[in-house]
Amino acid sequence: MAGATDLPPKGGFSYDNCARNAMLVEKGLKMPGFLKTGTTIVGLVFQDGVVLGADTRATEGPIVADKNCEKIHYMAPNIYCCGAGTAADTEAVTDMVSSQLQLHRYATGRESRVVTSLTLLKSHLFSYQGHVSAALVLGGVDVTGPHLHTVYPHGSTDTLPFATMGSGSLAAMSVFESKYKEGLTREEGIQLVAEAIRGGIFNDLGSGSNVDVCVITKGKTEYLRNHQLPNPRTYVSSKGYNFTKGQTVVLSTKITQLKPKVEVTEGDAMEE
Amino acid sequence: MKLDVSAMENNFAAHAAGGEDDGGLFGAGADLPAMELPTCPADFDGFQKETKEMLKHKKGTTTLAFIFDKGVIVAADSRASMGGYISSQTVRKIIEINPYMLGTMAGGAADCQFWHRNLGIKCRLHELANKRRISIAGASKLLANILYSYRGMGLSIGTMIAGWDEKGPGLYYVDSEGARLMGSRFSVGSGSLYAYGILDEGYRYVMPVEEAAELARRAIYQATFRDGASGGCVSVYHVGPNGWTKLSGDDVGELHYKYYPVEATPVEQEMADAPAA
Amino acid sequence: MSRRGDWVYENNGGTCVAIAGADYCVVAADTRLSVGYNILTRDHSKICELADKCALASSGFQGDIKALHKNLAARELLYQHQHNKRMSCPAMAQLLSNTLYYKRFFPYYAFNVLGGLDSEGKGCVFTYDAVGSYERTGYSAQGTGSALIMPVLDNQLKSPSPLLLPARDAVTPLSETEAVDLVKDVFASATERDIYTGDKLEIVVINKAGTKREYIDLRKD
Repeated sequence: MAGATDLPPKGGFSYDNCARNAMLVEKGLKMPGFLKTGTTIVGLVFQDGVVLGADTRATEGPIVADKNCEKIHYMAPNIYCCGAGTAADTEAVTDMVSSQLQLHRYATGRESRVVTSLTLLKSHLFSYQGHVSAALVLGGVDVTGPHLHTVYPHGSTDTLPFATMGSGSLAAMSVFESKYKEGLTREEGIQLVAEAIRGGIFNDLGSGSNVDVCVITKGKTEYLRNHQLPNPRTYVSSKGYNFTKGQTVVLSTKITQLKPKVEVTEGDAMEE
Repeated sequence: MKLDVSAMENNFAAHAAGGEDDGGLFGAGADLPAMELPTCPADFDGFQKETKEMLKHKKGTTTLAFIFDKGVIVAADSRASMGGYISSQTVRKIIEINPYMLGTMAGGAADCQFWHRNLGIKCRLHELANKRRISIAGASKLLANILYSYRGMGLSIGTMIAGWDEKGPGLYYVDSEGARLMGSRFSVGSGSLYAYGILDEGYRYVMPVEEAAELARRAIYQATFRDGASGGCVSVYHVGPNGWTKLSGDDVGELHYKYYPVEATPVEQEMADAPAA
Repeated sequence: MSRRGDWVYENNGGTCVAIAGADYCVVAADTRLSVGYNILTRDHSKICELADKCALASSGFQGDIKALHKNLAARELLYQHQHNKRMSCPAMAQLLSNTLYYKRFFPYYAFNVLGGLDSEGKGCVFTYDAVGSYERTGYSAQGTGSALIMPVLDNQLKSPSPLLLPARDAVTPLSETEAVDLVKDVFASATERDIYTGDKLEIVVINKAGTKREYIDLRKD
């Protein structure tokens, strides 16, 4: 009686409840929300490498859940990846591919290539038909030179000289479209990326707080965490606040003393 | 006096030659509550459903009133909530319509407040026209008739009209579905079942005022104890031949420790404050 | 009137706070106007000074708020003509309640806080829901950041319930400068966590000397 139900689980996501959940949502059930990074992420290719950038705000609906989160994920020593979408998905998918790349490096003994990670990412995302909601900007420098790609949640990809993603992508792209040119220097590249991210931070409510930048050149990667802090606290009260004791009435107190544990050794000390 | 029109200029400035919709400003008198309806008869129900979502206010309540030999006792809690958020702990759910009549409030806060205010006006006009106070039966019927005329439009009111008139104490239950019931004992709101439990247990027709007040207080307290949407303060009113008086207002937290004092357990060791660093 | 068959409301965000003291009232609101993830303007006043001792702060749908403020300002002007005096704050409070309720079946999408001085010169705050249920309180917060601000105000300012019998004294124990300081601080904090609150804070202080407006910067992200 080896029916279909007796097959061993193959791993991956279970879609068993999809139809049921769709029906419940139709009937007015509210599904629990996920931590979304309403985000601005960007990347560009300059003279001798790529620059990636991201803001640091994570939101849960209208509430800021994390004011200083990291959205530029490690893939390989020479490849990094910015993530937008559901925080758990971007993190899981980049971690997973980064492990595969590491194993591949152990097997081949060569530096990972950007196209390899791109292919791993897109085949994973495609196989899940958009249910893994990760929108990525992938950048790195390998033996074939600098590369920049965008990856959409359904698995389609683009290869571009400059790219933006997330809810602040339009604000950031307007900066790139007006100022990007080929053959930027390192400093110009960082500056332009930071300006594009600031565009997202200030004009998109889903993006905010600080600017993270990652510069990848041949044989060198610099992760500039909190490269700029354009949003300091605007007002600090001159006086502190005190929370007076006794607001919660103590009804009874019981203290149990820790009993010292005494070990009694009989006889003489052990001989050597 | 020089007229100050700054508030208007401020608003009209950005607006070239205002529209024709003056919001009934220069039209009908203020005595007619002319309700504006959205011009979408095709899907009025859907619109109502969605507007109701944003107006969810004061969902839970416990109110009660009963007649006994020395008049009427009216009591209520004071909490207003929107879903899980407590929007107020100091709502006046017993509305003082006039010195001889009280109304209670359960359901939509605005609906109750407005129509009780409206009822107060109507009762005063009746007094001026007829040189005598309106009966409780009459007042409750005025309200019931208004609510019946709005039936099915989404008003949400469950109220008790309690007071003293020429015939003695009066108590009516009126709701937005059109009901109007005379009775000697009512409780309304999400906590009403808990209150009824205490009220039916302890109710007698002949009682001293103090005992009646304590019964009402205890009933509301027990309801706030079990019903999360009720809480705040318990207000107790008494209506006698000389009009209403407020007998008490107690925080339910303090009441709890009055009813269930914490026995001082022998403290095994006194906790000492940590010395200031 | 235009066709209003579809869902006609929009939330333009923003937060309003008012605090009453013994002889003053502070009314404050941020100046950001937004829809969805976009900022429409960083400099939009949500506070309307309806009378000399009366200021109304509203958040919600800007179109409804504008109409409401215009309507109330006009009604106040008629009152001046008819009675040869300015409207008092408690009178304005009930007018606002009735104005909101008259649109019970097609409400103003507006969450209001009214602050000012009463006839005795004491500070007063009135807080509303969208269809006109109202209550006089010592302090209040409304709008997108209200759930972040209200617990802080409760902690700092909560006084015994006015329903208690025997009554206990219930006045906000802050001086005017302390109240303004608290308002600035709660807004700076709410801006850290509420995406719809920010850009600038507009503070109106009403006391017997008159009213004054003050602005401070908030985060712009």
